[in-house]
Amino acid sequence: MPFNRKPQKFNAAIKTVEIGSGDKTVTLGGENVLPFYSFDGEIKNGPKVGVEITDLGLDHEIAGVKAYYEGAATIGEIAKKASEMEGADFVCLRLIGGDPNGENKPVEDLVAVAKEVADAIDTPLVVEGCKNVEKDSELLNKVAEALQGKNVLVMSAREENYKAVGAAAGLAYNQKVGAESAVDINLAKQLNVVMTQLGVKPESIVMNVGSAAVGYGYEYVVSTLDRIKAAALSQDDKMLQMPIITPVASETWSVKEAMATEEDSPEWGNQEVRGISMEIQTAAASLAAGSDAVILKHPQSVATISKMIKELI
Amino acid sequence: MTLFERVFSGNDAVYGLTEAAVDAAIAANGEDKAVSFPDTAYALPCYYAVTGVKVTNLKEMKEALGVVKSLMTRENQLNDVFMSGVATALCAEFIEAIKYIDGAKPYTEPCYGHLSDAIIRELGVPLVTGDIPGVAVILGSAPTAQEGVDLVKSYQAQGILVTLVGGIIDQCQELGYKTGANVRVIPLGKDVTAVIHVVSVAIRAALIFGNVTAGDAGALMTYTKDRVPAFVNAFGPLDDVIVACGAGAIALGFPVVTDDDKDVPAIPKSLIIQKEIAKFNPTSLEARDIKIKITNIDIPVAFASAFEGEIIRRGDMQIEFDGSRVDCCELVQTKDASEVEDHKIEVIGPEIDAFEVGTKHSIAYVVEVAGKNMQADFEPVFERKFHSYLNCIEGVMHTGQRDMIRVRISKDAFNAGFRAKHIGEVLYAQVKNEFEAVVDKCQVKIYTNPEDCTRIRHEVATPVFEKRDERLSTMTDESVPVYYSCIMCQAFSPSHVCVVTPERLGLCGAVSWLDAKATNELDPNGPCQVITKERVIDERIGEYEDVNEAVRKFSQGALDDVSLYSIMEKPMTSCGCFECICGIEPFSNGVCIANREYAGMTPLGMTFSELASMTGGGVQTPGFMGHGKHFIASKKFMKAEGGVARIVWMPKELKDQVADRLNETAKELYGIENFADMIGDETIAEDPETLVAFLTEKGHPALGMDPMM
Repeated sequence: MPFNRKPQKFNAAIKTVEIGSGDKTVTLGGENVLPFYSFDGEIKNGPKVGVEITDLGLDHEIAGVKAYYEGAATIGEIAKKASEMEGADFVCLRLIGGDPNGENKPVEDLVAVAKEVADAIDTPLVVEGCKNVEKDSELLNKVAEALQGKNVLVMSAREENYKAVGAAAGLAYNQKVGAESAVDINLAKQLNVVMTQLGVKPESIVMNVGSAAVGYGYEYVVSTLDRIKAAALSQDDKMLQMPIITPVASETWSVKEAMATEEDSPEWGNQEVRGISMEIQTAAASLAAGSDAVILKHPQSVATISKMIKELI
Repeated sequence: MTLFERVFSGNDAVYGLTEAAVDAAIAANGEDKAVSFPDTAYALPCYYAVTGVKVTNLKEMKEALGVVKSLMTRENQLNDVFMSGVATALCAEFIEAIKYIDGAKPYTEPCYGHLSDAIIRELGVPLVTGDIPGVAVILGSAPTAQEGVDLVKSYQAQGILVTLVGGIIDQCQELGYKTGANVRVIPLGKDVTAVIHVVSVAIRAALIFGNVTAGDAGALMTYTKDRVPAFVNAFGPLDDVIVACGAGAIALGFPVVTDDDKDVPAIPKSLIIQKEIAKFNPTSLEARDIKIKITNIDIPVAFASAFEGEIIRRGDMQIEFDGSRVDCCELVQTKDASEVEDHKIEVIGPEIDAFEVGTKHSIAYVVEVAGKNMQADFEPVFERKFHSYLNCIEGVMHTGQRDMIRVRISKDAFNAGFRAKHIGEVLYAQVKNEFEAVVDKCQVKIYTNPEDCTRIRHEVATPVFEKRDERLSTMTDESVPVYYSCIMCQAFSPSHVCVVTPERLGLCGAVSWLDAKATNELDPNGPCQVITKERVIDERIGEYEDVNEAVRKFSQGALDDVSLYSIMEKPMTSCGCFECICGIEPFSNGVCIANREYAGMTPLGMTFSELASMTGGGVQTPGFMGHGKHFIASKKFMKAEGGVARIVWMPKELKDQVADRLNETAKELYGIENFADMIGDETIAEDPETLVAFLTEKGHPALGMDPMM
């Protein structure tokens, strides 16, 4: 019997969300086929790759990352280089220095960092807070205010502070809002429901449904991504049709495979190679399961993943 | 004069003034003179929001006056009153805008006048998050400066944004009361038209935060009514102009509270007469449905979940209340709003200072709540949380529930100043915070006299408990209009959906129909959703089209159909949290049930864990089903296959737990006495042959029933 190709057609699509402004504006989402199923239908906006930088600079980074940014002294210069990285579509600034249990930098300082970064680049910007619910409520509010007109994606609004972050970024200052939940389709949906009830437009929401490094309970992530895409496309579930962004670097560079030095674990081989490998594997899997964007750190990972996307679409 | 006439007359007066002001401004500046408020992208925001037209110069303002005039209809309908109110507000905006011609600065310290877009964005976020729970507009002069300032202070203490218009500004200054945006008390201006600057805030909030399109007056009014928690306090005597402005406020959904009762008829929820200035605050909050979040519980010891497991030994104990020895009880009662004074904590009887160290006493605490959405069915849901609330207090230990409670207070807590009244503070704060959706007002009565406690326990609480138990035991699947879904476990079992009915609780045993109902009402977007059951497919196995649709939706398409009462046909799925599993036992035509605690072998040749591996994960396995313990004695248990008569074996411990209720059900359904004695257990048989021999000897009904397969 001859092979009879039967495209899987859905009468629903992922919403599109634009971030940034000008020529380099990035559009996330829009597809109405399963991830990379370009043989079933056209994928207009392929998945995007972001480059992560942090307000803490480069001191703690691995050699290859440091080498790439060599010569960049200020956060603005670092950001500029990040935006020029081969395969990069956008820059993601993580303001981890704000964590009250860490460096506890004041909000004004972090807002100044965000402004410097936003002014230094022409690619879209994603700003991530410090993950402390209370600090983020204030910090992300001020960041959203300071970056008015830049159309940045502010991450993240969570169940505990979605009102503060959603109202500031999504309503008052017209930015895009990341809705972060912890690897659970129902929580992801619930957050989208309450955010839209707050008045944030569905077209202004990008989901971060949570992640993990491969090998660290990552199956849950795949299953969650899978089920969200399935519900969004096959069931036309409007509250799950927001595009998905997955921060990968922050997960993969903090596990032992990426952290253990070669001296401590000689049998594992070169530390940097391991870290890159973890980052690429996790990113590839996240994209294959339905993520519309990934955030990476190492130049080699960024180049590899963007090449993968190009060749598959 | 009627209210209608007063509004119309006030409106006409303001219109006349505005027309004169516009004409005078044109005469002085020419009609091309630009008019605008500083620092706003919305021109004259109120006029722009209502009509969608941006007025930029005096000529356009003159034209706009014509539009305003068209709103001023005089048909004596309620709508005419509201529209005249809106027209008055728009006139006020014109008058105020003219003051700003040529970049003039018409307002000086302490008055603000027009507020910039930036301030609105800044205030908007806390308004949306509820950190600013409301906006008070205080208009006119209070009878005395002190009363006025006290009112301002009372709102300020609740985090409410206060705006001042007219004489109250002078009264604040007179007493040296600090005002300013930073302390959230904003004097706008001394003319009554300055009130438009706060209306402008509400309206721009709708445009900025509500995505309301300018010109869509309907959407605008819905937004301000539903989302802007503002209200007006107007001190008498009210003139017609203020009455007309008030009509505008009411049109936007903002209730007006006043102490003037001459010629002003009260309108429920909209125009409220409150003669006592001191009660303006609670009256306004109730009228506007504003609930104040409680961030600090006023007690002298810590309150945190870290103390939940704290044990207080006899030697460390100051006193104890012991329901097993003397009369004690805890109770929630729903009352009418008029019977409850919010945050009233009463200790009736001696405080614990009067008790000797180490002694036992009676206590009865009754939490009385009122709320538009409160239902008596929620009472036990609240009550069940008391255990955790009281345990979270540092130095307090609580066990039991209803009238079998024991509360110990440690010496340390007592020495730190902890008293019985603080129990009331904790219950008040927690009930208000956690059940905000349904509790509007709450008060607590704490009885410590033994006579009172005896009376409350036997005459008040016991009848309530009996009534509740009665309701639970008589509630059937047929007697309720809807069922509930529960998907709390989907994080672990992605395609599982429990359909919770009165006679079939969630398979974890923790979610009854009433719990699911309460969860749904308290968290409408949460894991429990209403499932209708109007379109029956098959009564025998309990299959409904609506239930199937819901299951399909909540399992994201993984499941197509389930029956409520069959284990063989489309049985309900299981997550992994089931208390028990029942599985078909072919030799006897019956089923064996194993509970999670039972580690031994069953006549099916499988242990609980082995059975669980076949049953969990949200898949339908005909012949096997997870369920709660309580379901065993339900008349709906395997109803399609003949009901509880199919049960041939369960572990002894489980059998003892359910025997009484099971016997009752079997008697009612089949007229069999002591049915539990016919059921095998591990002391009788762990293999099918011995079991069948036992069943034959007992004459178990399952042996004579049709084969299940």
